[in-house]
Amino acid sequence: MFKYPSAIKEIYPFLPPRLRCFIEFLPSELGEKVEEIRLRHSRPLILHWAGGEAFLGENGIVHRMEEAYKINGEDLEQTLELICNHSLYAYEEELRQGYITLPGGHRVGLAGRAIMEKGKVKIFSHIGSLNFRLARQVKGAGAKVLPFLVEREKGRIFHTLIISPPQGGKTTLLRDLARLISDGASILGEGQKVGIVDERSEIAGSYQGVPQLEVGMRTDVLDACPKAEGIPLMLRSLSPKVIITDELGREEDVLAVKEAIHCGVTIISSVHGATLEEICHRPALSSLLENSYFERLVFLSRTKGPGTLEAIIEGERGLPLFTARGKGE
Amino acid sequence: MFTASLMGAALIITSAYLFGCSIAATYKNRVRYLEEFLLTLEIFKAEINFGVALLPEVFQSIAQRVHGPVGQLFMQSAAYLEKKEGLNATECWHKALQDRQDEMELAGGQMELLNKMGLIWGRGDKKDQLKQVTLMQELLRQALLEAKNEQGKNEKVWRYLGLLGGLTIVILLL
Repeated sequence: MFKYPSAIKEIYPFLPPRLRCFIEFLPSELGEKVEEIRLRHSRPLILHWAGGEAFLGENGIVHRMEEAYKINGEDLEQTLELICNHSLYAYEEELRQGYITLPGGHRVGLAGRAIMEKGKVKIFSHIGSLNFRLARQVKGAGAKVLPFLVEREKGRIFHTLIISPPQGGKTTLLRDLARLISDGASILGEGQKVGIVDERSEIAGSYQGVPQLEVGMRTDVLDACPKAEGIPLMLRSLSPKVIITDELGREEDVLAVKEAIHCGVTIISSVHGATLEEICHRPALSSLLENSYFERLVFLSRTKGPGTLEAIIEGERGLPLFTARGKGE
Repeated sequence: MFTASLMGAALIITSAYLFGCSIAATYKNRVRYLEEFLLTLEIFKAEINFGVALLPEVFQSIAQRVHGPVGQLFMQSAAYLEKKEGLNATECWHKALQDRQDEMELAGGQMELLNKMGLIWGRGDKKDQLKQVTLMQELLRQALLEAKNEQGKNEKVWRYLGLLGGLTIVILLL
């Protein structure tokens, strides 16, 4: 049925037949680069990719919004039922968190009316939009970065913080670093035990507890587990040499990271932000940076597509080890 | 000649009696199927209360525990759900019901109830889902009560009618 063996093929069974036909008309080269499929109530069906977007209509891609297919309530309801495998009752926690992970590691973000309980979101009702975010493993994304993160004499990995604006390729880099460190790389030698605390199921893209993306043979994944609870749990029971987690931000996450660092375990993590100054203004993170907990800071951007490596900085003295304009060690 | 007539008469009476019995059996079976549907809803409640099984798995689990046409209806629905053709749970249930309805010999009102049952699957969070199942159980209990009354009234009548019908035909033929 499909011309291309792409991520789109994997999300196809989760779309109602009405929407499947629009996707089928996509040119294969576009199908390969689509990053997001947006379904918003009463608004056009839109595809997004790095540096572009397109409306979908009866005859595939259309150029005028008026010609685009408008998503209706039934489309959203049916799609939600399909992504929950006809079992909304089994996805309460995911619905509360606002996303559902699909086989293949793809994620569907939800937005709608939030029902609150004790000051926290209990569930989203009346879903108004769904965003299919397609997971693509970029093998080799970490190969360029890894040499800067290894203390060659000891074969140790430096505590590393990856910094980039949203959709800058942080998670892709974390995933590939996990794979390289776990499986072993020439710069590192034998692989090391890696623990991933995957609070939002983004790094390993686990579905029913099984990682759907390659994160290495010596990697254990704590899926959908909060960092503050997952990191101590990892330390106690899974003896990792490296813990990888993403999107640090809360005070309790930072405490857990400090505890791991003091236990002699390497931490590789990521944070949203464009510059170091921006991150230093966030109270929870500033203590980590001011006390130089991280020995390497990796900056990414989308200037030449997601995952553009901008700079690698030595954490304590702020020395640039790599900049996009020229390498200097 | 007399022996042949006697054998013919016996054959007519037996056939008519068996015909009456088969109609009487439908009343009995309706009660049994409705009891089985009540049991399936109990299993469903237990599965979603104490586990995190998804709807296709729950249907398969029900089919393994409840045999006959009722179990097969759930198995068939699970198969449609697993096909991932984009049908929702209600559509899969109705499709399976269409395939299997002849085997169940249910009355019109009872079939309507089973159609309604298709509307509850996989809808709402756990609390809502349990509420809908409980409501459906209530409706099934009422239908079961009516089916038992019907059984009480009609089961014996049809057996006797069969027998008497056979005798009547024999007398008329004499």
